[in-house]
Amino acid sequence: MSLLRLVPRQLLRHPLRTLLTIGSLAVAIFLLCILRSLVTTLEATATTARNDRLWVQSAVSLFVGMPAWYPDRIAQVDGVQNVARWQWFGGYYQDPSNFFAQFAVDPQEVVEMYPELVVVEGSAEAFLAGRNCCMVGRGIADDFGWKVGDVAPITGALFPHPDGADKAWEFEVAAIYEPGARNFDDRTLFFHWKLFEETLTKPDESPGVGAIVVRVKDDADPSTVMGAVDELFMDGPQRVQTTTESEFQAQFVSMFGNIPFFVSAIGGGVLAAVLLACINTMLMAAREQRREAGVLKALGFSDTRVGSVLLFQSLFLTLVGGGLGMFLAKGIEPGVLGAMSAIMPGFMIETETLGLGLLITVLAGLVAGILPALATRNLTVIAALGARD
Amino acid sequence: MSDGIQLQDVTKTYQRGGEELRVLDQLDLSMEAGHFYALMGPSGSGKTTLLNLVGGLDLPDSGSVQVAGQDLGGLRGAALSAWRARSVGFVFQGFNLIPVLSALENVALPLALTPLSRKQQRQHALAALELVGLADRAKHRPGQLSGGQEQRVAIARAIVTDPRVLLCDEPTGDLDRDSADQVLGLLQRLNQEMNKTLLMVTHDPSAAARAQRIVHLDKGRLGGVEEVETQDPPGALA
Ligand SMILES: Nc1ncnc2c1ncn2[C@@H]1O[C@H](COP(=O)(O)OP(=O)(O)O)[C@@H](O)[C@H]1O
Ligand SMILES: [Mg+2]
Repeated sequence: MSLLRLVPRQLLRHPLRTLLTIGSLAVAIFLLCILRSLVTTLEATATTARNDRLWVQSAVSLFVGMPAWYPDRIAQVDGVQNVARWQWFGGYYQDPSNFFAQFAVDPQEVVEMYPELVVVEGSAEAFLAGRNCCMVGRGIADDFGWKVGDVAPITGALFPHPDGADKAWEFEVAAIYEPGARNFDDRTLFFHWKLFEETLTKPDESPGVGAIVVRVKDDADPSTVMGAVDELFMDGPQRVQTTTESEFQAQFVSMFGNIPFFVSAIGGGVLAAVLLACINTMLMAAREQRREAGVLKALGFSDTRVGSVLLFQSLFLTLVGGGLGMFLAKGIEPGVLGAMSAIMPGFMIETETLGLGLLITVLAGLVAGILPALATRNLTVIAALGARD
Repeated sequence: MSDGIQLQDVTKTYQRGGEELRVLDQLDLSMEAGHFYALMGPSGSGKTTLLNLVGGLDLPDSGSVQVAGQDLGGLRGAALSAWRARSVGFVFQGFNLIPVLSALENVALPLALTPLSRKQQRQHALAALELVGLADRAKHRPGQLSGGQEQRVAIARAIVTDPRVLLCDEPTGDLDRDSADQVLGLLQRLNQEMNKTLLMVTHDPSAAARAQRIVHLDKGRLGGVEEVETQDPPGALA
């Protein structure tokens, strides 16, 4: 009979109290994991984006198109290897609530410039071969049940189909990709610029270009190229603003501004409250087990051993609670990933975050357990058993 | 040096509201090994205090306490705990079983301090439970037992390590007549058949009559030691 057997038994003595304490700690650690992961995901997005890809947008705003002849002109700049047009399509599948990103792009160039798009079903060649073909992320393919060969009907909200606003654009799914890096989501649909342009415009009436991605040659200096591109249209007809892809993504990240601060504040506050609850639970436990501790000491168990029973109860309590919180956080990770992919691709709970959760859990256990354990250790048998006349 | 219990010139004081309370006052007392002693005296006369000193739960201010050949004055902390685990068993008025452990686990508890294997611990604990007639209650928790049964489990726990000395503080104080009789009979048997030295605090003259000798304590001083007459000769069955 080791004294450790007492640990779970004593906790089960008050199932409700134990459950509530475990539950509150589980919620706190769960929140902490999720909140911190939002921050690390944002940071990872900004840092895995690459510097050899430049984004050119209208200096006015991302939502103002550039003249259609800009890409060809940019392609002639020294140090530019490749140029791809991107246009935000802003459509939806069946219902406007089925929100995800679609882009009209130059398919050949995008496939070449983005090794992060790893085709796992169908093939890139098939995507390139047909003008009405598209490449979709695994996430939306799974959500909407699209397989290679299926037709994805997308209603154009920004760009209604010329044959009528309720007629959907039809893209044949030729490739399904999974992101090979964290700055990419798996919920984007890419389709051919040519189809976009030709469906939409009568001859000579181009829709313009939302953004242009420039792949810089390996031996060229991205900042020189950036300057050269900006310089090109200095005198009109429309100025452009060129940034590296990492800066481009960072401008979205900065919209989240003070998130790290809020995470620390919320996490810290919740944790402090829960810690108080744990301390309270353990103090109550120590008071209840006072007499039993005296008995154990009378039987010959050392002060330290008897005191440690309280410390282990505290650690057991917090480890179960914290473990549960981390388990739940990990469990909803795919759900968050799906729900947030549009604004925050690659949501992920890093091992480091789980490690931090574990560390906090253990610390909470030590903090809540140390006083009751010390008090129990220092208790004399006489005091514990009390004078009974 | 004798095997029994010797107190020489023992004084114990407690602080009570700034005043010094002399609970045991230069007490000299010698008890023989293998005998059953009852300890009687008015409330507050120092009976429990004396028991605590003999059991090494507390230390005297002055004087010496020797139990089963060991001078307790030389022991402190862990050494004193280890001596207690080996040499004395305690039986309290309030039973003091651990409510979250089964009868068997309660009895086996002191064996965790011995080098016995788990299996041996179980066997020893079962044997002790059998001795007190409760082997069939091994799996019951204290809350599922009557007071008398609880006290018998507590006695099994006190003897499971086979200590020389059993110290019982009003073991029948919370029990009805029949249960008390059972417990007293059990204590008598432990003394007679296993030759345990027993020291039992009691208020009840009929309980005290089950002992061989009655020690009277009055305001921290010895009031006299009385031989109980209707008792079997000591050691007759040992
Ligand atoms: N830890 C203690 N602190 C202060 N006073 C105590 C303590 N233990 C006992 N006393 C006092 O010492 C006296 C003797 O106590 P005790 O030995 O328990 O008496 P008995 O068991 O004979 O009734 C009582 O007056 C009691 O209140
Ligand atoms: Mg008493």
